Amino acid sequence: MAVERTIRHIKALATGAKYMLGGHRLTLMYPDDVQEFPDGYRGMIEYDWNTCIKCGLCAMVCPADAMKMYVSKEESEEGKRPVRRPGINYTRCIFCGFCVDICPTNSLKFTKVHDVAFYTFEEQIFPPEKFREGVPKPQYDKKPRRVRAILDERRGIRYEPVE
Amino acid sequence: MQDLLSLIFEPYVFVPLIFPGITVAFLLLLVIIWLERKMAAKVQLRYGPLYVLKPLGGAIQMVADLLRYLFQEPIIPKTVDKLAFILTPALLFGMAYLPTVAIPVSPTFYAFRSDLSLLIVLALSTLAPIFTVVMGWASNNKFSLIGGVREGYIVVSYEIPMFLSALSMAVLYGSLDLVDIAEAQKGLWGIFLNPVAAITMLVLMYMSTSKFPFEIPEAESEIVAGAYTEYSGILYGLVMGASYVKLYVLSLVFSILFLGGWNPVPGFMANDPLLPGVLLFIKAFIIIVIGAFLRAVYPRFRIDQAMDLGWKTLLPLSIISIFISLAEVMIMGGA
Ligand code: SF4
Ligand code: SF4
Repeated sequence: MAVERTIRHIKALATGAKYMLGGHRLTLMYPDDVQEFPDGYRGMIEYDWNTCIKCGLCAMVCPADAMKMYVSKEESEEGKRPVRRPGINYTRCIFCGFCVDICPTNSLKFTKVHDVAFYTFEEQIFPPEKFREGVPKPQYDKKPRRVRAILDERRGIRYEPVE
Repeated sequence: MQDLLSLIFEPYVFVPLIFPGITVAFLLLLVIIWLERKMAAKVQLRYGPLYVLKPLGGAIQMVADLLRYLFQEPIIPKTVDKLAFILTPALLFGMAYLPTVAIPVSPTFYAFRSDLSLLIVLALSTLAPIFTVVMGWASNNKFSLIGGVREGYIVVSYEIPMFLSALSMAVLYGSLDLVDIAEAQKGLWGIFLNPVAAITMLVLMYMSTSKFPFEIPEAESEIVAGAYTEYSGILYGLVMGASYVKLYVLSLVFSILFLGGWNPVPGFMANDPLLPGVLLFIKAFIIIVIGAFLRAVYPRFRIDQAMDLGWKTLLPLSIISIFISLAEVMIMGGA
C-alpha cells in the first residue's frame, strides 16, 4: 500500500518534470499572433439594415439579453410611429448564435472577428445606428502574424502560420 | 569608507545582513517566486509571467510586484486588533529570517559559533507560526481565524517529527554544532548515511512552509488566503515572503545536515568563505526549487490527510531514523 502510493508520487513528479522540460506551450501569443478562424465561426455579429423586417425575434430569443430592440429615432419621426430595430450589447453577448439562427431574413450574420476588447463600457453597446456600420476593425500595434490552430495527436494544439 | 567596508565583511555583520541573511533572502524571494510561477506555467503548457522584461522571460516580474505592494495602500479594517494586526507581519518576517544568524557559511566564517547552533536554528524557526495564529485571531475575520487554526493544526503535526529527524543527524555526528556537522561530512554526505531522516525532513520542510501539497493554511480556493485574508499592500508582501524565507532557512539547514554543507570544497579554499558560501547556497537553492516545482504537480491535501501523514507516517519514520543513526553510531563507532 505504502509502496504503491510512493510509486504513484514518483510517477506524478516524473510527469510534471517531463512537461516542464518539454518545450511545448499551448498559449496563443495574441496580439502578436492572431488566429484565423474556420468557416462557421461565431464571432461578432453583422447587421443588415435594409433586409431587416424589424420583427423583434432576435431580441426575443436572446438568452443573455444582449440583443434588444431600440427605438430608431429618424425612422420613427418620419413614420410618425415608433420603429424599433435591434441593437447588441457585447458586455452580455455569449455568442450563442440564436439570434443569427432565428432571423427570418438572414439579416444577422456572424463574422470571424472576435476581438471584443474596448476601452469603455459604453463602446461595447451597439445601438442600431452603430450596429449597421458593421464590426469594428481590430487595431494592432504592428501587423500580427496570422495563425491557424491545428489539433495534434501528440501535442494537443499547435499554431501554424497561414499566408 | 575603508572601515565601513571591512566592517561589512566582519562575519557578525555579514552573516545577518548579506549572506545567508536578509539581502540574499530578499533577492532569493524575487527570483524564486518568479521561478515558481514560471515552472508551474511550463508544466501546464503556459508561459507564466512574460511581459515584464520580455527578453528574459519576465524575470523582473517580482520587482514590479514588489513596487505594486510598496505603493498600494495597506488597508487596515476598522474591526481588527490594530497593534497585533500591524506588528505581526513584521514579526513574522523577522522571525522567519532570524535563524540565519546561527547558520555558518564556512568552517571559519560564522556570526557566532555555539555548541547548540542546530538547536538555536530549529528553536527560532518554530517561533514564526505563532504569529500566523495571532494574525488569524487579530484579523477578526472568519477566514483568517480558520487559516490561523489550520496553521496551528499543521504546526503540531510537523514540528515533532521534523525535530526528531534533524536531531537524528545530531545523534549520528555526535554534535549539535552545525560547523562540526558539516565538517563531519567531508566524505559521505548525511543523506546517504540516513536517507530516512533526509526524506522525512524534506517533506516536513515543505509542510512547514505551506508548499504544495500542504498549502493548507492559505488554501486560496477554500478560505481566501487563510490568516492573510485581510492584509494588503506591503503588509501582505511581508507575510507572503515570510514562508519563502522560512523555506530558505530550513533549506540551508537541510543542506548542512544532509548535503554536506559547503563540502566538497578544496582544502586551500576552505578559509575563504566565498566558495563554501556559494556551494551552500546552490544546494539550498536546489531544495527550494524542488519545493516550488511541487506546486505544479500536486493538488492540496485535506487537513486531515496532512495530519495523518504527519502523525502516522512521518513521526514513526523520524523515530526510525533516530534508531538508524544509533545503529550506525554503534556499528561504526561514530561517524
Ligand atoms: S449571439 Fe446569442 S447572446 Fe449574442 S446577441 Fe445573439 S442571441 Fe444574444
Ligand atoms: S435582425 Fe432579423 S430577427 Fe432581428 S428584427 Fe431584424 S429581421 Fe427580425
